[in-house]
Amino acid sequence: MLRFAAVVAVALAFAGPAAACAHPRTSLNYLQGQVMCPTCHTTLDMSDSQAAQQIKGFIAKRVAECWTAKQIESALVANYGQGILAAPSHKGFDLLAWWLPIAGVLVGALLLAFGVWHWSRRREPEEPDEPPASGLDEETERRLDDLLTRFD
Amino acid sequence: MTRRLKATAQLVALASVAGLLALLVWSVVHQQHAPGVGSMAPAFTLRRLEGTGSVSLASYRGKPVVLNFWASWCEPCKTEAAVLERDWTSYRSRGVVFLGVDYHDLGSDARRFVSAHALTFPMLEDGSGNVTSRYGISQVPETYVLNRQGRVVAHLRGPITDPGFAGEFRDAIVKAAA
Repeated sequence: MLRFAAVVAVALAFAGPAAACAHPRTSLNYLQGQVMCPTCHTTLDMSDSQAAQQIKGFIAKRVAECWTAKQIESALVANYGQGILAAPSHKGFDLLAWWLPIAGVLVGALLLAFGVWHWSRRREPEEPDEPPASGLDEETERRLDDLLTRFD
Repeated sequence: MTRRLKATAQLVALASVAGLLALLVWSVVHQQHAPGVGSMAPAFTLRRLEGTGSVSLASYRGKPVVLNFWASWCEPCKTEAAVLERDWTSYRSRGVVFLGVDYHDLGSDARRFVSAHALTFPMLEDGSGNVTSRYGISQVPETYVLNRQGRVVAHLRGPITDPGFAGEFRDAIVKAAA
Protein backbone atom coordinates (compact mmCIF):
# COMPACT_ATOMS: atom_id res chain seq x y z
CA MET A 1 0.00 0.00 0.00
CA LEU A 2 2.83 2.33 0.97
CA ARG A 3 4.64 1.49 -2.26
CA PHE A 4 1.49 2.26 -4.27
CA ALA A 5 1.11 5.62 -2.54
CA ALA A 6 4.74 6.47 -3.31
CA VAL A 7 4.30 5.55 -6.97
CA VAL A 8 1.15 7.68 -7.19
CA ALA A 9 2.93 10.59 -5.52
CA VAL A 10 5.89 10.39 -7.93
CA ALA A 11 3.55 10.05 -10.91
CA LEU A 12 1.59 13.10 -9.78
CA ALA A 13 4.77 15.06 -9.25
CA PHE A 14 5.89 14.39 -12.82
CA ALA A 15 2.46 14.65 -14.35
CA GLY A 16 1.65 17.87 -12.51
CA PRO A 17 3.54 20.41 -14.62
CA ALA A 18 2.58 18.65 -17.86
CA ALA A 19 -1.07 18.52 -16.89
CA ALA A 20 -0.90 22.18 -15.88
CA CYS A 21 -0.36 23.12 -19.51
CA ALA A 22 -1.27 20.48 -22.01
CA HIS A 23 -2.13 23.16 -24.57
CA PRO A 24 0.12 26.23 -24.34
CA ARG A 25 -1.79 29.42 -25.06
CA THR A 26 1.11 31.17 -26.76
CA SER A 27 4.65 30.40 -27.83
CA LEU A 28 8.15 31.68 -27.28
CA ASN A 29 8.50 32.11 -31.05
CA TYR A 30 5.51 34.43 -31.21
CA LEU A 31 6.53 36.52 -28.19
CA GLN A 32 10.13 36.85 -29.34
CA GLY A 33 8.83 39.06 -32.10
CA GLN A 34 6.63 41.11 -29.77
CA VAL A 35 9.13 41.82 -27.01
CA MET A 36 12.20 44.02 -27.17
CA CYS A 37 15.64 43.31 -25.82
CA PRO A 38 16.08 46.28 -23.43
CA THR A 39 19.82 46.61 -23.86
CA CYS A 40 20.13 46.14 -27.64
CA HIS A 41 16.86 47.80 -28.80
CA THR A 42 15.91 45.02 -31.20
CA THR A 43 13.24 42.37 -30.81
CA LEU A 44 14.26 39.29 -28.83
CA ASP A 45 14.46 37.10 -31.92
CA MET A 46 17.18 39.39 -33.27
CA SER A 47 19.27 39.34 -30.12
CA ASP A 48 21.36 36.85 -28.23
CA SER A 49 22.55 39.20 -25.50
CA GLN A 50 22.51 38.15 -21.86
CA ALA A 51 19.55 40.39 -21.10
CA ALA A 52 17.64 38.91 -24.05
CA GLN A 53 18.45 35.38 -22.95
CA GLN A 54 17.14 36.13 -19.48
CA ILE A 55 13.82 37.36 -20.89
CA LYS A 56 13.58 34.41 -23.28
CA GLY A 57 14.03 32.08 -20.29
CA PHE A 58 11.30 33.94 -18.40
CA ILE A 59 8.91 33.69 -21.37
CA ALA A 60 9.63 30.00 -21.95
CA LYS A 61 8.90 29.27 -18.30
CA ARG A 62 5.60 31.20 -18.35
CA VAL A 63 4.53 29.57 -21.64
CA ALA A 64 5.11 26.19 -19.99
CA GLU A 65 2.90 27.36 -17.12
CA CYS A 66 0.12 28.11 -19.60
CA TRP A 67 0.22 31.89 -19.28
CA THR A 68 -1.36 33.81 -22.12
CA ALA A 69 0.65 36.21 -24.29
CA LYS A 70 -1.17 39.12 -22.63
CA GLN A 71 -0.30 37.90 -19.13
CA ILE A 72 3.36 37.47 -20.04
CA GLU A 73 3.49 40.88 -21.70
CA SER A 74 1.87 42.47 -18.63
CA ALA A 75 4.43 40.86 -16.34
CA LEU A 76 7.25 42.14 -18.54
CA VAL A 77 5.76 45.64 -18.67
CA ALA A 78 5.52 45.63 -14.86
CA ASN A 79 9.24 44.86 -14.73
CA TYR A 80 10.68 46.86 -17.60
CA GLY A 81 8.03 49.46 -18.45
CA GLN A 82 6.03 49.92 -21.66
CA GLY A 83 9.21 50.16 -23.72
CA ILE A 84 9.71 46.39 -23.50
CA LEU A 85 6.90 45.87 -26.03
CA ALA A 86 7.77 46.15 -29.71
CA ALA A 87 4.35 47.60 -30.56
CA PRO A 88 3.00 50.69 -28.80
CA SER A 89 -0.13 50.32 -26.66
CA HIS A 90 -3.59 51.14 -27.99
CA LYS A 91 -4.29 54.00 -25.60
CA GLY A 92 -3.30 57.57 -24.85
CA PHE A 93 -0.48 59.20 -26.78
CA ASP A 94 0.62 55.81 -28.15
CA LEU A 95 -2.52 55.75 -30.28
CA LEU A 96 -0.82 58.29 -32.54
CA ALA A 97 1.68 55.63 -33.57
CA TRP A 98 -1.21 53.52 -34.88
CA TRP A 99 -3.32 56.24 -36.47
CA LEU A 100 -0.68 58.51 -38.01
CA PRO A 101 0.46 55.96 -40.62
CA ILE A 102 -3.16 55.23 -41.55
CA ALA A 103 -3.90 58.95 -41.79
CA GLY A 104 -0.73 59.40 -43.87
CA VAL A 105 -1.76 56.65 -46.29
CA LEU A 106 -5.29 58.10 -46.59
CA VAL A 107 -4.04 61.63 -47.22
CA GLY A 108 -1.52 60.28 -49.74
CA ALA A 109 -4.23 58.31 -51.55
CA LEU A 110 -6.49 61.38 -51.64
CA LEU A 111 -3.71 63.56 -53.01
CA LEU A 112 -2.87 60.93 -55.62
CA ALA A 113 -6.51 60.56 -56.64
CA PHE A 114 -6.90 64.32 -56.91
CA GLY A 115 -3.68 64.58 -58.95
CA VAL A 116 -4.80 61.85 -61.38
CA TRP A 117 -8.24 63.44 -61.74
CA HIS A 118 -6.72 66.87 -62.34
CA TRP A 119 -4.18 65.56 -64.85
CA SER A 120 -6.76 63.56 -66.82
CA ARG A 121 -9.08 66.58 -66.98
CA ARG A 122 -6.33 68.73 -68.47
CA ARG A 123 -5.52 66.17 -71.15
CA GLU A 124 -9.15 65.62 -72.32
CA PRO A 125 -9.84 67.34 -75.68
CA GLU A 126 -12.27 70.10 -75.18
CA GLU A 127 -15.43 69.43 -77.15
CA PRO A 128 -17.57 72.48 -77.55
CA ASP A 129 -21.28 71.91 -76.97
CA GLU A 130 -22.25 74.27 -79.82
CA PRO A 131 -20.31 75.27 -82.92
CA PRO A 132 -18.69 78.61 -82.39
CA ALA A 133 -20.58 81.56 -83.74
CA SER A 134 -19.19 82.89 -87.04
CA GLY A 135 -19.98 86.48 -86.24
CA LEU A 136 -21.77 86.98 -89.63
CA ASP A 137 -25.32 88.16 -90.02
CA GLU A 138 -27.99 85.77 -91.32
CA GLU A 139 -28.07 87.18 -94.87
CA THR A 140 -24.31 86.90 -95.36
CA GLU A 141 -24.31 83.43 -93.94
CA ARG A 142 -27.03 82.31 -96.32
CA ARG A 143 -25.13 83.71 -99.29
CA LEU A 144 -21.94 82.08 -98.14
CA ASP A 145 -23.74 78.73 -97.85
CA ASP A 146 -25.12 79.16 -101.39
CA LEU A 147 -21.65 79.87 -102.73
CA LEU A 148 -20.17 76.88 -100.95
CA THR A 149 -22.85 74.53 -102.28
CA ARG A 150 -21.86 75.48 -105.80
CA PHE A 151 -18.38 74.12 -105.18
CA ASP A 152 -19.70 70.80 -103.77
CA MET B 1 -7.24 77.54 -58.37
CA THR B 2 -4.48 75.20 -59.61
CA ARG B 3 -1.79 77.67 -58.60
CA ARG B 4 -3.26 77.99 -55.13
CA LEU B 5 -3.41 74.21 -54.77
CA LYS B 6 0.18 73.87 -55.89
CA ALA B 7 1.28 76.50 -53.37
CA THR B 8 -0.62 74.72 -50.59
CA ALA B 9 0.96 71.38 -51.49
CA GLN B 10 4.42 72.97 -51.47
CA LEU B 11 3.69 74.56 -48.10
CA VAL B 12 2.57 71.21 -46.66
CA ALA B 13 5.69 69.48 -48.02
CA LEU B 14 7.92 72.21 -46.56
CA ALA B 15 6.15 72.01 -43.20
CA SER B 16 6.64 68.22 -43.15
CA VAL B 17 10.35 68.52 -43.87
CA ALA B 18 10.69 71.26 -41.22
CA GLY B 19 8.84 69.05 -38.71
CA LEU B 20 11.14 66.10 -39.37
CA LEU B 21 14.19 68.33 -39.04
CA ALA B 22 12.89 69.73 -35.75
CA LEU B 23 12.37 66.16 -34.49
CA LEU B 24 15.93 65.24 -35.45
CA VAL B 25 17.36 68.31 -33.67
CA TRP B 26 15.23 67.61 -30.59
CA SER B 27 16.43 64.00 -30.38
CA VAL B 28 20.08 65.05 -30.78
CA VAL B 29 19.74 67.77 -28.12
CA HIS B 30 17.95 65.45 -25.69
CA GLN B 31 20.38 62.57 -26.09
CA GLN B 32 21.50 61.28 -22.71
CA HIS B 33 25.13 61.81 -21.87
CA ALA B 34 27.03 60.53 -18.88
CA PRO B 35 27.51 63.33 -16.33
CA GLY B 36 31.16 64.31 -16.38
CA VAL B 37 33.49 64.58 -13.43
CA GLY B 38 32.65 67.74 -11.45
CA SER B 39 29.05 67.95 -12.67
CA MET B 40 25.99 67.29 -10.53
CA ALA B 41 24.74 63.71 -10.53
CA PRO B 42 21.19 63.50 -11.95
CA ALA B 43 18.61 63.37 -9.17
CA PHE B 44 16.38 60.32 -8.93
CA THR B 45 13.94 58.44 -6.75
CA LEU B 46 13.77 54.67 -7.21
CA ARG B 47 11.87 51.83 -5.59
CA ARG B 48 13.74 49.51 -3.31
CA LEU B 49 14.45 46.13 -4.87
CA GLU B 50 13.60 44.41 -1.61
CA GLY B 51 10.91 45.49 0.79
CA THR B 52 8.77 48.52 0.16
CA GLY B 53 9.29 52.22 -0.29
CA SER B 54 11.64 54.22 -2.40
CA VAL B 55 14.96 55.98 -2.01
CA SER B 56 15.95 59.34 -3.40
CA LEU B 57 19.53 60.32 -4.09
CA ALA B 58 18.88 63.76 -2.56
CA SER B 59 18.33 62.14 0.85
CA TYR B 60 22.05 61.27 0.94
CA ARG B 61 23.24 64.84 0.34
CA GLY B 62 26.10 65.52 2.75
CA LYS B 63 27.47 61.98 2.41
CA PRO B 64 29.80 60.48 -0.18
CA VAL B 65 27.86 58.03 -2.37
CA VAL B 66 29.02 55.06 -4.40
CA LEU B 67 26.44 54.39 -7.10
CA ASN B 68 26.86 50.98 -8.68
CA PHE B 69 24.79 49.98 -11.75
CA TRP B 70 24.39 46.25 -12.23
CA ALA B 71 22.09 43.48 -13.48
CA SER B 72 21.68 39.83 -12.55
CA TRP B 73 22.40 38.70 -16.14
CA CYS B 74 25.73 40.53 -16.14
CA GLU B 75 28.67 38.15 -15.68
CA PRO B 76 31.30 40.69 -14.46
CA CYS B 77 28.76 41.92 -11.88
CA LYS B 78 29.04 38.55 -10.15
CA THR B 79 32.76 38.86 -9.48
CA GLU B 80 32.38 42.52 -8.58
CA ALA B 81 29.59 41.89 -6.04
CA ALA B 82 31.82 40.36 -3.36
CA VAL B 83 34.34 43.22 -3.63
CA LEU B 84 31.60 45.84 -3.39
CA GLU B 85 30.16 44.19 -0.30
CA ARG B 86 33.61 44.04 1.31
CA ASP B 87 34.27 47.71 0.52
CA TRP B 88 30.81 48.68 1.78
CA THR B 89 31.42 47.03 5.13
CA SER B 90 34.79 48.73 5.46
CA TYR B 91 33.69 52.24 4.35
CA ARG B 92 30.21 52.47 5.89
CA SER B 93 31.67 53.36 9.29
CA ARG B 94 33.24 56.41 7.62
CA GLY B 95 29.86 57.60 6.43
CA VAL B 96 30.18 56.40 2.84
CA VAL B 97 26.87 55.26 1.32
CA PHE B 98 26.73 52.46 -1.25
CA LEU B 99 23.68 52.21 -3.53
CA GLY B 100 23.11 49.48 -6.07
CA VAL B 101 20.92 50.23 -9.08
CA ASP B 102 19.62 47.14 -10.85
CA TYR B 103 18.60 47.92 -14.41
CA HIS B 104 16.82 46.14 -17.27
CA ASP B 105 16.37 43.11 -15.07
CA LEU B 106 13.71 40.77 -13.78
CA GLY B 107 12.95 41.61 -10.15
CA SER B 108 12.89 37.95 -9.10
CA ASP B 109 16.30 37.24 -10.67
CA ALA B 110 17.74 40.41 -9.17
CA ARG B 111 16.55 39.49 -5.66
CA ARG B 112 18.04 36.02 -6.11
CA PHE B 113 21.34 37.65 -7.14
CA VAL B 114 21.36 39.88 -4.03
CA SER B 115 20.64 36.92 -1.81
CA ALA B 116 23.20 34.64 -3.51
CA HIS B 117 25.96 37.22 -3.08
CA ALA B 118 24.84 38.25 0.41
CA LEU B 119 24.74 41.93 -0.53
CA THR B 120 23.63 44.15 2.33
CA PHE B 121 23.82 47.70 0.93
CA PRO B 122 20.57 49.28 -0.35
CA MET B 123 19.44 48.01 -3.73
CA LEU B 124 17.14 49.98 -6.03
CA GLU B 125 15.34 48.86 -9.15
CA ASP B 126 15.34 50.66 -12.46
CA GLY B 127 13.64 48.10 -14.66
CA SER B 128 12.74 50.60 -17.37
CA GLY B 129 16.27 52.01 -17.36
CA ASN B 130 15.03 55.63 -17.17
CA VAL B 131 17.48 56.64 -14.45
CA THR B 132 20.27 54.51 -15.84
CA SER B 133 20.01 56.20 -19.23
CA ARG B 134 20.35 59.61 -17.56
CA TYR B 135 23.67 58.40 -16.23
CA GLY B 136 24.72 57.40 -19.76
CA ILE B 137 25.18 53.77 -18.79
CA SER B 138 25.95 51.69 -21.85
CA GLN B 139 27.06 48.48 -20.20
CA VAL B 140 27.10 47.09 -16.71
CA PRO B 141 28.72 47.19 -14.29
CA GLU B 142 29.47 50.88 -14.09
CA THR B 143 30.13 52.85 -10.93
CA TYR B 144 29.91 56.52 -10.02
CA VAL B 145 31.49 58.02 -6.93
CA LEU B 146 29.76 61.22 -5.76
CA ASN B 147 31.04 63.70 -3.21
CA ARG B 148 29.06 65.20 -0.33
CA GLN B 149 27.62 67.88 -2.61
CA GLY B 150 26.33 65.30 -5.07
CA ARG B 151 28.97 66.03 -7.69
CA VAL B 152 30.67 63.29 -9.72
CA VAL B 153 34.17 62.50 -8.49
CA ALA B 154 34.73 59.43 -10.67
CA HIS B 155 32.94 57.33 -13.25
CA LEU B 156 34.29 53.82 -13.73
CA ARG B 157 33.04 52.12 -16.90
CA GLY B 158 33.64 48.51 -15.94
CA PRO B 159 33.96 46.32 -12.87
CA ILE B 160 35.84 47.83 -9.96
CA THR B 161 37.68 44.50 -9.78
CA ASP B 162 39.43 45.51 -12.99
CA PRO B 163 43.12 46.03 -12.10
CA GLY B 164 43.02 49.46 -13.70
CA PHE B 165 40.05 50.57 -11.61
CA ALA B 166 40.75 49.17 -8.14
CA GLY B 167 43.13 51.99 -7.15
CA GLU B 168 41.05 54.65 -8.89
CA PHE B 169 37.93 53.51 -7.05
CA ARG B 170 39.47 53.77 -3.61
CA ASP B 171 41.15 57.08 -4.39
CA ALA B 172 37.80 58.43 -5.55
CA ILE B 173 36.12 57.37 -2.31
CA VAL B 174 38.83 59.08 -0.27
CA LYS B 175 38.48 62.23 -2.42
CA ALA B 176 34.67 62.15 -2.14
CA ALA B 177 34.81 61.79 1.64
CA ALA B 178 37.34 64.62 2.09
